[in-house]
Amino acid sequence: MKLLVVEDEPDLLKGLVRALRRDGYAVDPAADGEEGLYKAQNADYDAIVLDIMLPRLDGWELLARLRKTKSTPVLMLTARNTTADRVRGLDAGADDYLAKPFDNMELLARLRALIRRAAGKAVPQIEIRGVMIDTRSRIVTRAGQPVALTAREYAILEYLALHRGEVVTRTILYEHLLDESDDTLSNLLDVHVFSIRKKLGHDLIATRRGQGYCIES
Amino acid sequence: MRAKSIRGRLLLWLAFLLACLLAGFGVTAYQFQRINRFRQIDDELVQRVEALSDDARERGPFGPPPGGFPPDGDFGQRPPRRPPPEDANGPEGPRGRSVQLSAQTQALFNAADMNGFYYEFWSRDEDVLKRSANAPGTLTMPERSAPSAVCQMRTRGPFREAWHFNKMGECALVGRNITADLAAMRRFVLLLVFAGGGVLALGLAGSGWLVTRALRPVEKISATASRISASNLSERINTAQIDSELGHLADTLNSAFAQLEAAFAQQKQFTADAAHELRTPVSVMLTHAQNGLASTCASDEHREAFEACQRAAQRMRHLIESLLELMQLDSGQETIKRQPMDLAHVATECVELVRPLAALHHITIHTELAPCQYDGDSQRLAQVISNLLANAIHYNKPDGEIRIRTQSQNGAAILTVRDTGRGILAEDLPHVFERFYRADKSRSTERFYRVDKSRSTAGRGLGLAISKAIIEAHGGTIQAQSVPEEGSEFQIILPCLPS
Repeated sequence: MKLLVVEDEPDLLKGLVRALRRDGYAVDPAADGEEGLYKAQNADYDAIVLDIMLPRLDGWELLARLRKTKSTPVLMLTARNTTADRVRGLDAGADDYLAKPFDNMELLARLRALIRRAAGKAVPQIEIRGVMIDTRSRIVTRAGQPVALTAREYAILEYLALHRGEVVTRTILYEHLLDESDDTLSNLLDVHVFSIRKKLGHDLIATRRGQGYCIES
Repeated sequence: MRAKSIRGRLLLWLAFLLACLLAGFGVTAYQFQRINRFRQIDDELVQRVEALSDDARERGPFGPPPGGFPPDGDFGQRPPRRPPPEDANGPEGPRGRSVQLSAQTQALFNAADMNGFYYEFWSRDEDVLKRSANAPGTLTMPERSAPSAVCQMRTRGPFREAWHFNKMGECALVGRNITADLAAMRRFVLLLVFAGGGVLALGLAGSGWLVTRALRPVEKISATASRISASNLSERINTAQIDSELGHLADTLNSAFAQLEAAFAQQKQFTADAAHELRTPVSVMLTHAQNGLASTCASDEHREAFEACQRAAQRMRHLIESLLELMQLDSGQETIKRQPMDLAHVATECVELVRPLAALHHITIHTELAPCQYDGDSQRLAQVISNLLANAIHYNKPDGEIRIRTQSQNGAAILTVRDTGRGILAEDLPHVFERFYRADKSRSTERFYRVDKSRSTAGRGLGLAISKAIIEAHGGTIQAQSVPEEGSEFQIILPCLPS
């Protein structure tokens, strides 16, 4: 999962990026509205965490311009916590709204819910042929037995599971799983998929030669 | 409506002035009429007295006596006194002296008319020489007090009389019954009173209209001013249709409103800015503290430091929220959204919410929730009730009790929360609704309202202040009563709105 965080307070941006990365997300930071809009328009993010009070281009304007081309889920983050502000944010096209200061736990839970809803899944558990993925606790079980996955392995599995029935190209996987700070080699993806297959069975993830990977529905 | 309105006082003064003017005019008119009337009567009387006197002189026996005038000195000799005539009304007077009236003079009197002129003619011995048939029987000869031939006047009962004495000491008197004239004067007075009353009524109606018209701009100004409130500060008094005197007032008010609006806008901006400026750093602290806690490589010492930071950040967060809420309530930015609701229902929900917390401290909550309809902001009132319940749990003794009661009394909704805690000292009681007031701040351990350090104290010190602000925004009151060592009681009284 790849997220964009647009926040002008450098310390908060750093903290947010760190918290989200620890939770397994690939995170791109943006320090002002213009940078945020550019990144949001030119990459496919699974969700955007957007502050309202931003220099150059405020959150409202960014959201309005973004919504002309993309429907990426947006969680608005604001220090203004009046009902009018919340209503305005949601009406402007935000998918959720969180007032500062917030608990990291709540931010993460809301982001999970946002991404899940965007993928058309209402419940946090996904079950595929005996493999249960709990997106809430990030625990994967096979036939009731927990299976230990690395953060990257889990991210690949979750992304494929959320896009079940679709062919996910390597490019998309790279885009959603790696952020600007990663400089991993491309063949690492194959290593991770190999590792997942070893842990959860070979038939779970199918390889479409020349196209990408797919979890068949 | 105030007892003393400008309108009422203006009208009263106008009525008083008008009444004075009318009374002055009426009295003058009456006097003028009366003097005229009497002068006319008097003129007529004098004319007749003179005619009568002339006749008596011309025809009387006092022409030069036969044989010429007696020698000087004898002239003034009085004739011997004669007995009064048997028929005083007869054309012939007593012997020797008879007064004949000329036809001309006779025409001046009409004996048949009891209200007409009458006359009487006395000799110097007060003998009646001649009198008219309609002369009143009570008539007596007046005292001689003026030189001869000078007419004198008197009013005797309903009669106005004029007389004079001739050189021989004889007296001619002419009178007239003036009852009819007096009655006419009375009618005139009545007419004046009625006309005056009418003019007064008309004048008052006219002034009432004028005063109302003159005060209409004032009413307009006050109506506009009362429409201007915290939520609607942009309206202004329309000065185009207001006269210059009031226009100045309206301009002054308008500029005051403009200042007020600016102040409100400034306050609003400040609240918003303060919110942003305060919340962002707290977010930074909270995020980093939680990141640090989540880190696997943190030592116990680091962990402790991060926990302390996180606690402080959480406390600041609650404090900021409470302060901002108070500011918004104070400035009227946060408006109460009134809706029909049942206070008992709201209280039930609050009780259910705090029940787990109460159970944790082994505290029983007893409810006596009678249906209690009220038009209020249920969310805000729930906040108040939750705060009272949380305090009641927090400051209770272990195994204590809480009683929450709602009742409807005289249209007012009343909610009472009573605990069996250690109570509040009498000297602290008036201050419990003050901001940041902590009963235990000076003598910490032995005081009531002692705070357990292990529990979160976030927001304490503002909860009751916020509750008070919310209740007062509803137009209600909140009171605290307490008996030390027995418990405290908080009561909310929400009077019903005048519909």
